[in-house]
Amino acid sequence: MSVTILLQLVENGLVLGAMYGLIAVGYTMVYGVIQLINFAHGEIFMLGGFGALTVYAWIPGVAHLPLLAALPLMLIGGVAVSVVVAVGAERLAYRPLRTAPRLAPLITAIGLSLALQQVVSLWYRLPGGVNAKGPVSFPSFSGKAFNLGGVLVQPADIFTLAAAAVCMAGLTWFVERTRGGRAIQATAQDPDTARLMGIDTDRMIVLSFAIGAALAAVAAITQGLRYGQISFDMGFVAGLKAFTAAVLGGIGNVRGSMLGGIVLGLVEELSSGVLAHFHTTAQYGQAWADVWAFVLLILVLLVRPQGLLGERVADRA
Amino acid sequence: MNKASKASYTDSAARGFRRVRGHVDPRAAKALIAVGSLGAAASTFLAWTWTAAFPGDLAVYGYPGGNQLITLIVSILTLFALGSAVGASGLTGTRWLVPRGRVRLLRGLALANAASTWYVLIAIAWELGGLANLVAGAWVAGLTVLLPVVGAYLLPKDVRAPAPPRPAPRPVQVGVIFLVVLLGLLVADFGISTGYAEEFIGFCLAAGFAGRGLAVSGVFERFSALTARNRAATGCACLVAAVLFAFLQTSDAYTTVADNILIFATVALGLNIVVGLAGLLDVGYVAFLGVGAYTAALVSGTAASRFSGVVLPFWAQAVIGVLVAVVAGLIIGAPTLRLRGDYLAIVTLGFGEIFRITMNNLDGQSGPQITNGPEGIYGIPDLRIFGYDFGQTHTILGHAFGRFANYYLLLIAVTALVVFIFSRVNESRIGRAWAAIREDETAAEAMGVHGYRFKLLAFGLGAGLAGLAGTIQGHLTSTVTPDQYTFSASAPPNSAFLLAAVVLGGMGTVSGPLLGAALLYLIPYKLQFFSDKQLLLFGLALVVMMRLRPEGLIADRRRKLELHAQQSLPAGEQREAVGTDLQEVEANA
Repeated sequence: MSVTILLQLVENGLVLGAMYGLIAVGYTMVYGVIQLINFAHGEIFMLGGFGALTVYAWIPGVAHLPLLAALPLMLIGGVAVSVVVAVGAERLAYRPLRTAPRLAPLITAIGLSLALQQVVSLWYRLPGGVNAKGPVSFPSFSGKAFNLGGVLVQPADIFTLAAAAVCMAGLTWFVERTRGGRAIQATAQDPDTARLMGIDTDRMIVLSFAIGAALAAVAAITQGLRYGQISFDMGFVAGLKAFTAAVLGGIGNVRGSMLGGIVLGLVEELSSGVLAHFHTTAQYGQAWADVWAFVLLILVLLVRPQGLLGERVADRA
Repeated sequence: MNKASKASYTDSAARGFRRVRGHVDPRAAKALIAVGSLGAAASTFLAWTWTAAFPGDLAVYGYPGGNQLITLIVSILTLFALGSAVGASGLTGTRWLVPRGRVRLLRGLALANAASTWYVLIAIAWELGGLANLVAGAWVAGLTVLLPVVGAYLLPKDVRAPAPPRPAPRPVQVGVIFLVVLLGLLVADFGISTGYAEEFIGFCLAAGFAGRGLAVSGVFERFSALTARNRAATGCACLVAAVLFAFLQTSDAYTTVADNILIFATVALGLNIVVGLAGLLDVGYVAFLGVGAYTAALVSGTAASRFSGVVLPFWAQAVIGVLVAVVAGLIIGAPTLRLRGDYLAIVTLGFGEIFRITMNNLDGQSGPQITNGPEGIYGIPDLRIFGYDFGQTHTILGHAFGRFANYYLLLIAVTALVVFIFSRVNESRIGRAWAAIREDETAAEAMGVHGYRFKLLAFGLGAGLAGLAGTIQGHLTSTVTPDQYTFSASAPPNSAFLLAAVVLGGMGTVSGPLLGAALLYLIPYKLQFFSDKQLLLFGLALVVMMRLRPEGLIADRRRKLELHAQQSLPAGEQREAVGTDLQEVEANA
């Protein structure tokens, strides 16, 4: 197996992992403050993609702009949809259940996830009446891939890595350097004491949902750009992987979620790529990538349940 | 309008209504109910519309058909309930049955009749395009069903202290149980055999309102007290009723439905052990059903199996299926159950997905050839137990049992087994350990409950029961494919539907998942027009249920207290609930 192929796999893994990391932030922040696995986060991610597509397809003129110029508008649209839905879900579905037994909000989240998928599948329309019951096409970069010593880097890959880097830098700065970020950390550590110190914990919870949703929307756009299509059910597997990434990195830990995402992306690409490369194991390649990702989750839970960087959640259990 | 003014508005309306009620002679109100019910009953012998375009012989004079039958039955029930209330003390014995007063029951029945009948009338006018399609009989029905509602609400609520339970002789108690269970069988049979969507909706409206009437008037309370004292008899009665259902059916059409409901219900009951009793959220449960089905299919001797040379008898298939499912459950559960509870949800979700992918991939292309990939294992032979071939039609007691009826009888036995395991385990030390873990694991551990061990036991038991159901399901459907076992699909059983059945029916109860599974299977089956919206509606139903009635349709007393901790129950009910727990403690001591 040549070094070039290996490097290519690493590049693919990094890009995939950066996308997982962006989604994982949403799980980890929400879990950090209220210990809820927001099952509907995969759908928040999916809705971000459809929000961006709506801007592209329905606002006259946007589709005729160069993609690089249209992207900021699509980002605004996607982020807006995701944030509105996530905050709405928190207000209407999760907040009333905050003192309920743990099973209740979890079941609510599953219900919400089913409902959001179906809403898009039943009623989303593109111009010309194309429905979203199957995958719908998403604009993608038309430029040729860059060749770095044999390793092909697609334009969408550069966008993904840049977006992930900017988002993570911004988020780290926000969480660690600003009053709002420290308030979120305090809420995650001990909500009762945080409230006694004058922190509006309800607002911090909403803020966590909103930040996670915004990053998920960015991830959805990178996914659309990379694969040239999005679909109403893409949130299910992406959400499952991203949660795995969050657990891998240490739930509640913002940097951990990006690290976990990248590790997961690398493991997925390398395991399936390396297996596919050798003749005897070729059949355990691409088709089994999801299985290897999941086996990794079980192994991590066995060996290091607190994740790579350690978990940071309130002791509320 | 804000909440306060709305409340005061309804308050003054209620006051005004009570003032009117004060001036009405109860005898007049009862007469109104009697006249209305008789009129409604009579109207069902008239035609309601002029054309046969509306399903179910509604255009015929002389006998009731389709939805008219529902109106007739409910009218007669209303008259019966009224009859037992007329006179100084009513029919002896019936007063004891209705501790919270017969008027509430009358109101429920009157509403049931009005809702069901008005629904049909509106459906006729809507579907045939105009009120002109309603003929005289319909107008008579529409007006007369309203009279009992007015009458029942003009009667004062007869809230009396419940008569002290006067224990009837044992044979009478047993007789009552059998009678009630058989009535329940007839109602269920009617629901399953409804021929078209309008009839099913009419049935649901009538059954729903009447059931509510029975619940608020305390009939269910009495009956559940009765069954609690005669558990063996209740079990027998249910079993007899379930077997009788097969005798009531003459074609395979509804036995197939019943088979599917039973598989769905059995698996939902198994999930209820995991979710309802032990409080572990398993969102990939259908994978264990798949493990059982695939295992049985592989050793069933079908030519499509990799091991087609291996032909095991059913009992061996069942044992192997259960064992493989339990092992899968332990592999998933052992690393996860030590950790925080939420991780289990995501691991089981992942396991469900992995199971499907693996079955897809073991096709000779992406892996060794074991499962035929997406095509699945087909041609699974029918079961044969003690020489009884399930594929053949057998005549027992003069009734021909076809293939689906044979499976129905076997599934009844399996459901009974699962119900037996569920209730015995729930009432044992294990069940109390699960309740303790569910409520507060730290406290339970401090009391010496080995949390991990009991959680693993629940998870393994649940997996095994699903595996058992799977071994039969494989033979029933004769083909197993990976797509039967997904997280969400438009037809049950899949993990999302199973969870919905448990949550809607009532976590931690036996009857809850059975009712939930029956409803969740019948609603999409009977209402085909609704099929592409059902996942949306179930999703929303889960959200709304968790908000408004987290204990489900049938509430477990202990869980009701758990879920409504801050908004305490009415004093009487709370005392009763605590009382039951005390009785339990005493009984166990």
